Amino acid sequence: MSRRDAMTPLERFAAYAAGSPVDRLPCVPIVGNTAARVIGVKVGAFRGNGKLIADAQVAAYRRFGYDVIRVFTDLYTQAEAMGAKVAYPGDETAYLEAPALNDPMEIDRLVPADPFKDGNLPHHLEAMQRAVDAVGSEVPVNGAVTCPFTNASFLVGADRLARLMLRDPAAVHRLCEVSLATNLAYAAAIMAVGATPSLTDAMSSNSVISPRQFREFSLPYLKRLIDFIHGKGKGVTLHICGKTAGIWQDMVDVGADCLSIDNDASLADAKAAVGDRVRLMGNVHPSEVMLQGTPEKVREATLACLAAAGDTPKGFIVASGCSLPTETPFANIDAMLDTVRDFRPSVPLIQAT
Amino acid sequence: MAKTKEALWQELSDSVLEMEEDRAVAAAEEVVAQGYDAFEAIERGLSAGMERAGQLFEEEEYFIPELLICSDAMYAGMDVLKPHLRQDDIAEKHKVVIGVIEGDTHDIGKNLVKTMLETSGFEVTDLGRDIAPARFVETAKEIGAQLIALSTLMTTTMEGMGAVVRQLREEGIRDNFKVMVGGGPISQGFADRIGADGYAVNAAEAIRLARSLVGASESVAA
Repeated sequence: MSRRDAMTPLERFAAYAAGSPVDRLPCVPIVGNTAARVIGVKVGAFRGNGKLIADAQVAAYRRFGYDVIRVFTDLYTQAEAMGAKVAYPGDETAYLEAPALNDPMEIDRLVPADPFKDGNLPHHLEAMQRAVDAVGSEVPVNGAVTCPFTNASFLVGADRLARLMLRDPAAVHRLCEVSLATNLAYAAAIMAVGATPSLTDAMSSNSVISPRQFREFSLPYLKRLIDFIHGKGKGVTLHICGKTAGIWQDMVDVGADCLSIDNDASLADAKAAVGDRVRLMGNVHPSEVMLQGTPEKVREATLACLAAAGDTPKGFIVASGCSLPTETPFANIDAMLDTVRDFRPSVPLIQAT
Repeated sequence: MAKTKEALWQELSDSVLEMEEDRAVAAAEEVVAQGYDAFEAIERGLSAGMERAGQLFEEEEYFIPELLICSDAMYAGMDVLKPHLRQDDIAEKHKVVIGVIEGDTHDIGKNLVKTMLETSGFEVTDLGRDIAPARFVETAKEIGAQLIALSTLMTTTMEGMGAVVRQLREEGIRDNFKVMVGGGPISQGFADRIGADGYAVNAAEAIRLARSLVGASESVAA
């Protein structure tokens, strides 16, 4: 189905960063559980099965030819490894059934997860390891890390965390601290198997908390996580859902190398604000366009993203605004890639073979 | 010296806006002690304060944490005043069934909309989260609701919203209810596609939509 590209994703990224000719711009429809559909298994079968996750992710990469493999099933893997209860419907994305704590007074009982022992973390690490072994020489393999503040919300519950921010700020800091300890251990393990941590931080959104609250409760921990990853020589992509214009400068200041912009934010504004300091990716609407739209609608939305940010000084990756819904039609994912393959960017192109 | 009822309304409104639960309770107790009308105090005091908070939310002065604490203050005042409501105060409200669709347990947005609906004079039956489509329909029939409000944050559960509308059609009672939808993955386009009556992008917008929807259904009935 998908056309052959002249370069592998790793070759493409290297050339793009160096300003050398590329065959096309990078493109990342953020495929999570849709990978289950590529190999015809139920989403629930991913639980506790690193080999199956790897098989599905590698097959999806080969099927579509996009530029990053991201091992991701749901946001809750680290919280689960710290005691949160996660529900696994047979064939749908897992969801948080109950936070790790029922009483915020119990915060001090939380211990950081051991990524090699606790919950599903070992299986996700196995999936990354297998994907790296299979195709790591041609495509970056990322492991999704739910950032300290968002993970903390799964430890006590989102509304309880929101109330604590105003009523007991010290408790929020203790939660983020233990969250961070898990993040650091998991990020280290991800890099040890040859993959790269990819940061996702839904609750840090300005759709939920204010920029001031972000700076107080989320940013300090995010910075320590990013510093740690940078210390190991890896770059960092940071995704924050929803509205983020009020914190773009902070996201760059804290060291993110690429900002993944949600469809609730403007790529053109992001380019104007921080495009000279950081690479951008985004932001085709995952449900309205990718899930419910036609290939033609995907093409229009993809071209709109390229028009808005294709000439970002630090580079641009066409992507979905957030993880794709499981049932996203393959034809729509193909349409995003094909639109990028046909697009003539302002950067030099090599002759496709 | 006893405060006027207007002064107490202002006090209730300010304590909600400024997130001061104890102050809201104290003001509500004084309303009761002075024998002022409880319904008026809720409307002109607590609800007005929540409406001002909603305004600040739209202006991005307040965010979700502030709105939650405002609503805590509002409910604390409400708990004091509710036992003093007259029966006819309660009867004249529009009824709405609200819940998060099956398969989704995110309810922070739904809870906010519920709070704002209550402060705007709706009688809200909250089914909670992870609710099967059929239960929305059953409950709406049972309590004689005018409005069904559906929320989801997950793309995997969006289709359940369509199932609610379908069931209403199949039972031939679609016109008896207005259906409004909201949540992260939802859009106006999706609302149109499943045949919902309206979509709201945030809690403040949801209240305006709810008011216009029940206003519209009233004019049809008249």
